[in-house]
Amino acid sequence: MGSGNWSTDVYAARASYRASTGASAFAYSDGGATAVHPDLDPRGVTVRESRDSDDHPESLAIGVLFDVTGSMGTVPRTLQAKLPDLLGLLLRKGYVEHPHILFGAVGDATCDRAPLQVGQFEADNRMDDDLGKILLEGGGGGQMRESYELAMYFMARHTAIDCLDRRGKRGYLFMIGDELAYPKAKRREIAAVIGGEPDRDVPIEKLVRELQRKYDVYFIIPEGAYHSGRREVKDFWQKLLGQNVLYLDDLDAVCETIALTIGLAEDAIDLGEGLDHLAEAGSDAGASVSRALARLDAARAPVAVSSTPPGLDASGPSATTRL
Amino acid sequence: MGHVIVVDLGFGDAGKGTVVDHLCRTGLPSGSLRAALPSVGGRPPTPPGSPRSFGGVTAVVRFNGGAQAAHNVVAPDGRHHTFAQFGSGTFTPGVRTHLSRFMLVDPLALAAEADHLRALGVPDALDRLTVDGEALLTTPYHRAANRARESARGAARHGSCGMGIGETASYALAHDDAPRAGDCLSPARLRRRLAAVRDWYRAAFPGGEDVPSADACAGAFTAFAGRVRIVGPGHLPALLRAGNVVFEGAQGVLLDEWHGFHPYTTWSTTTFTNAEALLAEAGATATRLGVLRAYATRHGPGPFVTEDPALTADLPDRHNGTGRWQGAFRVGHLDAVALRYALEVTGGVDGLAVTHLDVAGARPDLRVCHSYEIDGERVGRLESGPPDLDRQAALTRRLLAARPVYAPLGDPVETIEDALGAPVVLRSHGPASTDKRSDHFRTPIDLSLR
Repeated sequence: MGSGNWSTDVYAARASYRASTGASAFAYSDGGATAVHPDLDPRGVTVRESRDSDDHPESLAIGVLFDVTGSMGTVPRTLQAKLPDLLGLLLRKGYVEHPHILFGAVGDATCDRAPLQVGQFEADNRMDDDLGKILLEGGGGGQMRESYELAMYFMARHTAIDCLDRRGKRGYLFMIGDELAYPKAKRREIAAVIGGEPDRDVPIEKLVRELQRKYDVYFIIPEGAYHSGRREVKDFWQKLLGQNVLYLDDLDAVCETIALTIGLAEDAIDLGEGLDHLAEAGSDAGASVSRALARLDAARAPVAVSSTPPGLDASGPSATTRL
Repeated sequence: MGHVIVVDLGFGDAGKGTVVDHLCRTGLPSGSLRAALPSVGGRPPTPPGSPRSFGGVTAVVRFNGGAQAAHNVVAPDGRHHTFAQFGSGTFTPGVRTHLSRFMLVDPLALAAEADHLRALGVPDALDRLTVDGEALLTTPYHRAANRARESARGAARHGSCGMGIGETASYALAHDDAPRAGDCLSPARLRRRLAAVRDWYRAAFPGGEDVPSADACAGAFTAFAGRVRIVGPGHLPALLRAGNVVFEGAQGVLLDEWHGFHPYTTWSTTTFTNAEALLAEAGATATRLGVLRAYATRHGPGPFVTEDPALTADLPDRHNGTGRWQGAFRVGHLDAVALRYALEVTGGVDGLAVTHLDVAGARPDLRVCHSYEIDGERVGRLESGPPDLDRQAALTRRLLAARPVYAPLGDPVETIEDALGAPVVLRSHGPASTDKRSDHFRTPIDLSLR
C-alpha cells in the first residue's frame, strides 16, 4: 500500500508511451518482416480444418478475411485490437456454442509480397497469435482491386469444415475491405500463391456460387475508408452477394456487427435483442451496427403478409358460387 | 504448483509483493500445500513442454484496487521497485501481467512505472502487459476529486492514498459512461467520456486543483492503447490454460469495502472474491494463500487495537513513511482476533505466508493479542455478516474503545498456526526471494539462505 509513487503527468506519460517502442500487436510485421509468416502461408496447404472435438462437439467455422493494404490505412490495427473480442461476444449470449474462428489477410497478387495470408481455425486465443503474425502491406496496387478472388478460391477449395461435412450446416465467411476483386482467379496466380493448378482461370461468379455452398458469405465495407464511398465498389459486391453486403460507418463496431450478423443468421436473436445485448454489455456500437444490419433483420421477416384469399377459407360463407 | 491467490489478511503492507515475486521466481513447492491439505491441487497433468510442467508461473493477475498499490520487491542483486500496477513477478523474465476487469487502471502512473522498470534493466514490462478492455480507468480528474474531498474532511480523514481509486469506483457506479480501457481504442468516444469526467469534477469541486484538458488526457490515453495490448474476456481463460497464474491482491482484508472497519476502508473488494469469480468463469480453481507479518501494521487512520507507539518508533518501515494523503505508518503486535475475523469474512485459506520473521526474531518484546477487553467484557471473536455498513460502523466504534489482552509471542510460526488453524507454508526472513523458506521441507530455496 502507499500512495502515488509514480508521476501522473499526461504529457510525460504520452511521451513515454510513444518513445518506448516495443513488440507491437503486429510484432512480426513491425519487426521488419518482408515475407508471409510460414504459419500463415497458404502455399502448399491442402486444407485448413475446422474439426469437432470433445471440447467442441458442434464446431461452427467462421472465417474473417480483411484487406491489409495501404488504402485501408489503420484498419488492420483496429481490427487486431477488436477481433479477439469476437469470440467473447459470440459465446457470452450463446449465439454460437462452439465457434472456430480463422483470420486471414488479403493483398494484391499482381504486385504485393503477401497476396494471401490465412491462419488456422482456432477455438481460443491462439487466434491472437495468428493476427500478430500478419504482414501488413503498405502498398496495394492502386487499381482499386485486391485479390479477394484468390482468398475465395482458397476458402472454397482448401478448407474442410465439420459443421458442413458432418451436419450439413454452412459456416460463415466475412470479408472486410473497400475494393473490387479481380474478375477471375487466374490459374497461374493460384499455382504461385496457393499451389495446385486448375485447368483454367475460375470466374469470380463461379467461385462465389461454389463458396456459398460451404459458407454464408458477407462483405463488410467500412464507410469512410478510402474507396468505400465509390459506387462501383458497392455495385460490384452487391451484384455478387446481394443483401449480404454491409456498410459500416464505424469500424470500431466490426466485432459487434459480425457477432450480431451470426446471431441473426443462427436465429438466436432478432436485431432488437442483439442491440439490447450490446447495450447491456456497455457497447456503444449499437447505432452503427443497427444501421449496418437493419436490412438483414428485415429480410428475415416475410416480405408481406396477406390474409387468406377469399374462398379458401373453410369456415364462413364462400364468396364464390360453384356451379 | 497450480494457480495461487495471494491476499493480505491485515491492513495491507504485509508483503504480498515479496511473496508474489518469490512464487514467480521459484514456484511453490508442490509438496508444501498438498502435504498440509490433501484437497489442494487435483489438476490434470499437463503435457511436457508446457510451462506448468516446470511448476513455473507464466502470469500475475491483478484483481482489485488500482495504482495505489505499493508492493515492494527487492531483487537478489539489490534492485528495488515498488510495484503499483505491474505484477510483482515482473523481475522474473517472461512473467506476464494481466490487469483484469476488476482492476482500476491508471495509464499515466503506468507509464512512469514502466520507465522506472526500464531504468532498472527491465525493458519489456509493457510488452508483457495485457489489460482487459472492461477495466475502469483512473483519470487525473478522479485523482483531483479524491484530494479535494479528502482535504475537505480535514481531521476526519479516512486514510485515502490520494490516487483517485475511490472516486473512480464511485463515479462508475453513478455514470454508465465511465471511461474504460477499451475506450482508448476509440478516440472520439474516449474524448467524450473524459470530458464528461472533467465536467463532473469541475462542477463538484469548483475550488479544486487545476487539471489537464480532456484533449491532453485523451492524447496520453490513446498513446497508452497504442503501446499496451487491450484484450477481451477470452484472454484470461487462455492464460489459465497456458500455465500457473498468481493472482495478486491489493490492500488487505481488513480494509475491504464491506468487511473492513467502516469508514476507514477502501473502495475495493480485498478478499478472494474477485479472483474466485475470474477463476470460476474459466472453470479453474486456485490455492488460497493468506499473507501476514509476524506483527501488525496499519498505514493511515482507523482502528488498530494492538498499536504500540514503542514499536512504531523502533520499527520504521523502509518503504512506508508518512504519506501526505495517507497519514502515518503505525506498528503494533500480532492481533489474532483481527486475523481470525479476516479469515472468517474471506471463507478461510489453504495456507499462510508469514513475513518479517527477521524483525520478529530481533524483538523479544513482541506479543500476541488473543482477545480484546471492550466495556469490561472479553471478546475473542468479532461479529461478521452480510454487507451492512451500519453494523461495520458500530464495529468500528467498539474497536476504537477496545483494549488488547496480550500473551508473549513465543515462536511466531507456531503461535500463528495455533491461533489461526491454518498451515504456514512460506516463511520470509527478509526482503529478497532468497530470504524465503517454504514450509517444513528442505527445498532448493533453503540451500540459498543467508
